[in-house]
Amino acid sequence: MRFALAFVLAATLATPSQAGVAEALDDHILPGFASFAAASADLEAAARSDCTAPALAASFHDAFDAWLVVGDLRLGPSETGALSIAFWPDTRGFTEKTLASLIGAQNPIVDDPEAFAELSIAGRGLFALEMLLFDPDYSDYGTEDYRCALAQALASDLARQAAALSQGWSESFASVLLSAGADGNARFLSEEEAVRAIYTQILSALQFTTDSRIARPMGSFERPRPIRAEARRSGRSLTNVLASTQAAVDLAEALADWPLPETRAALGRVQEAAEAIEDPAFGDVDNPAARFRLEVLQQKVAAVTTAIEAEIGAPLGLSAGFNAQDGD
Amino acid sequence: MKQIEHQKKGQDMKFRTLATSALALTLVTGAAKADTGAVLETYANIAQAGYADSLTTARALSDAVDALIADPSAETLAAARAAWVAARVPYQQTEVYRFGNPIVDDWEGKVNAWPLDEGLIDYVASDYVLSDENEFAALNIIANPSFTIAGEEVDASEITPELIEGLHELDGIEANVATGYHAIEFLLWGQDLNGTGPGAGDRPHTDYAAGDACTGGNCDRRAAYLRAATDLLISDLEEMEANWAEGGAAREAVMQDEAAGLSAMLTGMGSLSYGELAGERMRLGLMLGDPEEEHDCFSDNTHWSHYYDGLGIQNVYHGRYTRIDGSVVEGPSLADIAAEADPALDTEMAAKLDATVAALGAISQAAEGGFAYDQMLAMGNAEGEALIMGGVNALIDQTRSIERIVAALDLGGIALEGSDSLDNPGAVFE
Repeated sequence: MRFALAFVLAATLATPSQAGVAEALDDHILPGFASFAAASADLEAAARSDCTAPALAASFHDAFDAWLVVGDLRLGPSETGALSIAFWPDTRGFTEKTLASLIGAQNPIVDDPEAFAELSIAGRGLFALEMLLFDPDYSDYGTEDYRCALAQALASDLARQAAALSQGWSESFASVLLSAGADGNARFLSEEEAVRAIYTQILSALQFTTDSRIARPMGSFERPRPIRAEARRSGRSLTNVLASTQAAVDLAEALADWPLPETRAALGRVQEAAEAIEDPAFGDVDNPAARFRLEVLQQKVAAVTTAIEAEIGAPLGLSAGFNAQDGD
Repeated sequence: MKQIEHQKKGQDMKFRTLATSALALTLVTGAAKADTGAVLETYANIAQAGYADSLTTARALSDAVDALIADPSAETLAAARAAWVAARVPYQQTEVYRFGNPIVDDWEGKVNAWPLDEGLIDYVASDYVLSDENEFAALNIIANPSFTIAGEEVDASEITPELIEGLHELDGIEANVATGYHAIEFLLWGQDLNGTGPGAGDRPHTDYAAGDACTGGNCDRRAAYLRAATDLLISDLEEMEANWAEGGAAREAVMQDEAAGLSAMLTGMGSLSYGELAGERMRLGLMLGDPEEEHDCFSDNTHWSHYYDGLGIQNVYHGRYTRIDGSVVEGPSLADIAAEADPALDTEMAAKLDATVAALGAISQAAEGGFAYDQMLAMGNAEGEALIMGGVNALIDQTRSIERIVAALDLGGIALEGSDSLDNPGAVFE
């Protein structure tokens, strides 16, 4: 009671602190989307000049790297927009089904960007492009092949989506976050709600990494599941774990206007654990020693969550809101 | 030590936020405390009534299945289908109990697992697509009295509840659904081969006929499967009803700790609203544009399943459930507690729950008018997209109000009490 009173008293003297939300936007989220839009535009240009798989690999990786900085956000324009950029996990093989159907029919939708944007999300975005560029069943195509036009259509669609997302954040949703608590802002009724929304995104992203990016290929001890690793075709599974964890920590540091030494140290331990991993696509998880190293990595990512809860959640009295993965 | 200093700095910078929750805490302490036990009791009573009603309607389904097997005809098949649809009404209203209550969540997969690779169970059309993740997607238990799994011979000569329970989620793959409502649904309707066109599954009643009249092969084994799946559903529902009865484990767990109990209620409401219904079941299906991506894909009953999910969320908030016989279970509610803490927030929550039920009702109305849910999923169908997204957006919107109630009741803070991170921030790093 005494404490509560002290806080109430202090509140009347304080000026509103909006630094966390503004810095999360300016230092991390908005530049992240701008970089992803630029990298996707580069990928589109590269596909226009040479659509073949080997020629596009580097631009594909650049775009995916850029995506991971902001890719786990499920807020504002990303609430729905992220799904058609990164449809994964694909537990029922929808991406392959959609690609096979497009290619089998030589579907002219590749010449119609508006119609292409209406296609199933399983046939769009980074994971459809990954299958086309890196799966040996698809990647061996020449410039006259339908798959060349498909690669170009996928790259163009990605660039268009990336630009729209970046614009949606910078021109619209950023101001909704920044005006949290102001009259007329029906989305965030207080500044605390905006802080909590971003905090929820940080913890949800880390949870996605432990529960999906790492746990899916781990499977059970008796039944490891290497083919369930994220982006295994392009050999990015470990890269994605590291980049998304880094992104969560960067966003946490931007949100908190005080240092997060334990969180930073926990990130260091994730990076150390990653150095022990031998196969960057987690293809060796049926080897018990390799599986154990992945389990260690998972524990280190979970420790980042614990650190962020202690260094941001506890001092602010914040608990995470609901997240998009609460279903099953 | 260093840690604590940083936190203090954090508190100084952000005390306005903290003060908000401290204020909320002082508002609810005392006033609400007296009511919380009664609110949790209402919550448990509604669960018990919901599972009891699910059991009653499952027994009616069982009788209808007996009649179908004894005398397969268009009429007995139609009656069994109608009994299945009726059984979904109370069951879907209990789904709000899933996410907050581990006892329900651990059990739920046996009863309502979805989506399924139905080729595990019975014959499917030749264009049935296999995924490379599931080598048992076309196992066809009904056609095979024995088969090999991971080098081991499985004796499936007699199809019993134990057999199918053992095959459920075979090979650790969730799509290997061998039991529950959707397995029964498949056995009653068969695959819906109409894509995004009109029409549901159209399994002929002769799939259960004796002798030469049998279609689809193995009619006796199909009947045995349907019987076993229905028996298993009943025993599973009996178990869950008992869990919520006086002295039952789920009721005890909820009543044990008032803050945790309230948290379970709100977690169930929010997780079903957002991640599960709005996300997984509705928006994802729409964005995939696949007609199989609907919750009740064989029967085309999806609209009602979604609607009763939404109604169940509303029931929990208002502490009021209308049973299948028309009687009402009600008592002190979460709405009462929210209204004490913040009357405007209670009004907001009630309005959003109404809006969701209305939006889901609009989908049902359209579906009953002949515009089925799988037709709404068709790519480029703007009207269908608007209807489904209307439901999705209402569900997301109500999730925000649920979060506000969590914050207003300061349940996060209460739940953190006693945990390492709050009592001794340094401890979690040791």
